[in-house]
Amino acid sequence: MKKLAYYDTSHEMPLEIIMSAGFVPYKIMGDVHKPNDPADKYLSNFFCPAAKSWLTEALSDSKQWAGIIFAQGCNNTNRHYDIWKLHVETSFLHWFGCPLLDGAAAKKYYRVELQRLISHLENRFDIKITSEKIKEAIGKSNEIKKKLKHLSVLRSQKDIPNRDYLAALIKCLTCPVDEISAWLDSEITVWNSRPAFPSDKKRFLLTGSDVTYVEWMDTLDECGIRVVRDDLSIGERFFATSIPDSSDPLDSLCEYYMGIPTPATRPTIQKRLDYLYKALGETGVDGVLSQNLKFCEPYAYDSVPVNNALKSKGYKVIHLERDFSPVADQQLSTRLMAFVEMMDGGNNG
Amino acid sequence: MDKVKNSGDNAGKVMLKTLPHSKDLKWPMLWWIAMEKIYRILPWKKTAWTCAAFPIEIMWAYDIFPDHPENMATVAAARKQSQRLIEHAEGMGFSRDLCSYCKTNIGAYDTKIKKTLGGISKPDIVVCTNAICDTHWKWFQIMADKMNVPFFMFDIPKWVSGTDEKTLDGNIDYVVDQFYDLMAFVEKHTGKKMNEKRMNKVLDRSMELTNLWREIFEHRKSVPSPYSGAETSASFFPLVVLPGVKTGINFLKKILTDIKSITAKGEGTMPKGSEKYRVMWEGIPFWYRMKFMYDLAQEGAVIAFEPYTFSFAPPKKKCLTMEETLRDVAKLMMGTPYAYNLERRIENFEKWIDEYKIDGVILHENMSCRPSSAGMVDLAEAIMKDKGIPVLILQCDMNDPRAYSEGQIKTRIEGFVELMEANKK
Repeated sequence: MKKLAYYDTSHEMPLEIIMSAGFVPYKIMGDVHKPNDPADKYLSNFFCPAAKSWLTEALSDSKQWAGIIFAQGCNNTNRHYDIWKLHVETSFLHWFGCPLLDGAAAKKYYRVELQRLISHLENRFDIKITSEKIKEAIGKSNEIKKKLKHLSVLRSQKDIPNRDYLAALIKCLTCPVDEISAWLDSEITVWNSRPAFPSDKKRFLLTGSDVTYVEWMDTLDECGIRVVRDDLSIGERFFATSIPDSSDPLDSLCEYYMGIPTPATRPTIQKRLDYLYKALGETGVDGVLSQNLKFCEPYAYDSVPVNNALKSKGYKVIHLERDFSPVADQQLSTRLMAFVEMMDGGNNG
Repeated sequence: MDKVKNSGDNAGKVMLKTLPHSKDLKWPMLWWIAMEKIYRILPWKKTAWTCAAFPIEIMWAYDIFPDHPENMATVAAARKQSQRLIEHAEGMGFSRDLCSYCKTNIGAYDTKIKKTLGGISKPDIVVCTNAICDTHWKWFQIMADKMNVPFFMFDIPKWVSGTDEKTLDGNIDYVVDQFYDLMAFVEKHTGKKMNEKRMNKVLDRSMELTNLWREIFEHRKSVPSPYSGAETSASFFPLVVLPGVKTGINFLKKILTDIKSITAKGEGTMPKGSEKYRVMWEGIPFWYRMKFMYDLAQEGAVIAFEPYTFSFAPPKKKCLTMEETLRDVAKLMMGTPYAYNLERRIENFEKWIDEYKIDGVILHENMSCRPSSAGMVDLAEAIMKDKGIPVLILQCDMNDPRAYSEGQIKTRIEGFVELMEANKK
């Protein structure tokens, strides 16, 4: 089955439509190990380095994909669509407009956009995307979400390195769903058999920009930090809620995608905080690690009010800005280690 | 010509002439400042914070004073206050990489500086749109939360390259629906009611203001240029905050009369024979260093056209019904030239280059405005290839003086002028 790639700065892309069109949804995440050379030609040094890496990947791999769908998300990269249209070779490029709001007008518009996507896929690939196929895809998506949730809970109980969790998420966002489902079953068994949560690690909630490479998660482990909760899109936002079962599957998708935990690219900050409070209420943590990738505006804006709100509730919060690089940043590690050491005698939450 | 401006030490320098009525800009400005005070003092009057590309006419129609954080941020920069305000906001935790307008506003509000220095007061409501950037709503929401003021956001779908008419229609439907949400929001939080008669009057005035500005731009096509970017960067003020108000119309009428008079005499803003290069400036100016425009004049270059100020005067049409009006406004909001997609940008820039007889283009790659800076490399390449004129991409910032490197920019401008000169041979 061929991959249909999608550009998504959050979890906006209705993967079930891609699945019901007979393709494997493939989230473009770039490769932190490769230079952003070709993309640097089109985007200056103050643009999101992750988005540049995605463009680099598309410039080299687009011919392997059936097409590309751009989901509206971060406004700083929305306009990259035009650059992709000009330079990335593909026979199918679609802009999927996702409303930022969630009221009645937005729901109506979201539905229009869903139908426009379906029509475009049907016409281009000469297929029929039926309600049955979408319902079947929804069923499979929910199965994956359920299993991921199961894995996620084990993070605070067992010795699960940070990289294992991220690697599982990345696999779920790039590989065929049937293959993933079986793999997740075996992973649940493996994770359950792991030793108990290590006593020398601190439990943290990770919030902010998405992390797309495991090396950064390794750095956290090396600093004594275990991420047991998060509100990332390549993380809990992807599986925190299930797609509801409505008679019309498009209604289900509307309800689901407009109701997932809010990223910084959507209003409101309070909604983002609501999920963080819920997660922090469900799982005891030692601290909150807030971070944003260099030049990631949405999370850089949010970090001030969000972190102030968390601190005012008594949580220990550290915020940092990171580069897009697999190489460990020693200064950042030193700050994190100092923060972890400092929290040993303190109260939290 | 009753006044000249220059860049500091006058000896041997090219002087830019300003129009006789340029100084009258103080009247709409004073009117605006006075109105802000009156609307804040009188208990039945209401005020709002609004942003660029928001249909300000709706606020005037509701008799709500539209205060404008971006406008006040430019005032702070012009009064050399922006850097300390930005640094104050950074001290609160906002990253150096974030919008300098936003940080200027946060700093201005937090330090409570005077209105004349770029200060701004707490409004009754905060209304904004993401038509230009999401920064607007992030910033306005942060401030609305901080001030504990009701917040409304207008979500404008993106008009990306290749958008077809059918998709555009669906996008317009979504925006029109939100107009009714906006009205419900305004009425709930201010107690004001929509008066269609007043709305029509405001829209008529807004159209008149817009038409005047567009007519001014028609005359800017003349050689030599009668009215440069150095002047329009200030005089477009009524289009930012006063669309729908008479005072701005009166001012622009006088400006238009002046322009007609000097073009009839074959005169321009530069002394006779000094205009060597007609430049298009894309992006927001360096508000803290407007002298840049006068520095250009020393090289014989005049900013003959800039899409930024032109953006504030989209062609408006007289509609028969409210629904028709809202659809028209919705389309204008989505299609603001400042937020043109790359294809429309290239198409329009090339048209403007011909119309305004442009010799070279400066693209301000604004570190505070990533959406507008995206695609500039492709835009530059297209212009150079299709029109055969030099394009300079200048990376800088609209409100943060720390980004302005005097020597580097001077060197680059000199190189750009040499290219324009070589291109003329």
